[in-house]
Amino acid sequence: MSVSTAPETDREVSTRELISPDIPWELIVWNDPVNLMSYVSYVFQSYFGYSEAKAAKLMLEVHTEGKSAVAHGSKEKMEAHAVAMHGFGLWATVQKGGPRG
Amino acid sequence: MARAFSAGRRGITGFLEPAERDLLRKLFTDIITMLEPDTPAHEDPLAALIGLDMDVSVPVDPALLRLLPDAVKDDADSALEFRQLTERSLRETKIGALRAASLGLESEKLVLNAEGAKLWAMALNDVRLVLAERLEIRDEEDAERIHEVQDWGDADDVESYLSLVYNFVSWLQESLVQAMLSAMARSK
Repeated sequence: MSVSTAPETDREVSTRELISPDIPWELIVWNDPVNLMSYVSYVFQSYFGYSEAKAAKLMLEVHTEGKSAVAHGSKEKMEAHAVAMHGFGLWATVQKGGPRG
Repeated sequence: MARAFSAGRRGITGFLEPAERDLLRKLFTDIITMLEPDTPAHEDPLAALIGLDMDVSVPVDPALLRLLPDAVKDDADSALEFRQLTERSLRETKIGALRAASLGLESEKLVLNAEGAKLWAMALNDVRLVLAERLEIRDEEDAERIHEVQDWGDADDVESYLSLVYNFVSWLQESLVQAMLSAMARSK
């Protein structure tokens, strides 16, 4: 991404485009050396309703890649998920979806 | 010595020695104290009802920050705004789980349904997050180093004592979660 020196008005426009509800958001879960792999897998299965295989795949992605996008959808939904993850003690953040979004 | 949790027809059961229950009760109480908000619920009844808290700020204590992390990365304003809307209820969720787990310590045998087991796992996890922060576990190598402290005869300073407590709580949580996973697999 390049550094923009665009005037304030242009930035306003692009901000509005970015928060358009058409753009999907994602929930990122970050790795840490404390949370047990079994517990992370349990959270993904019980909270998101993911299969054992999908939960294991995402858990391993968090573990080896340092993070994983575990859910996609509206900003509000991803924010609710983030609070739930924090309730479980997993560190999650909400961001605008990437190209695959 | 505590027995590993197991999943059976009556739910998930576990057994803890009196000294282990005392230790866990103290740990749960410490973390409840950490999580109780400094400021009283907002004067505005509607704000209090929806858990809105405009006075909230990013926790200074790194252990508390680990319990109540930012939900937006690299954007302090958005993270703070999110905190104002959600932190109070997150604190209440965590305190609720810790209180539920603490109540369960009244009897030496624990019999948990799926919801009770979840609250126990959440409470044990928060205990481990706080202990890990105090022990400065930052990466897998640190975790490995702490894991090697296994002999209560070596508990001659605060760090080795905390390491042993951390390892005990980790073992307990792992055993609980394994029982929860097998109960879940069985119910499918």
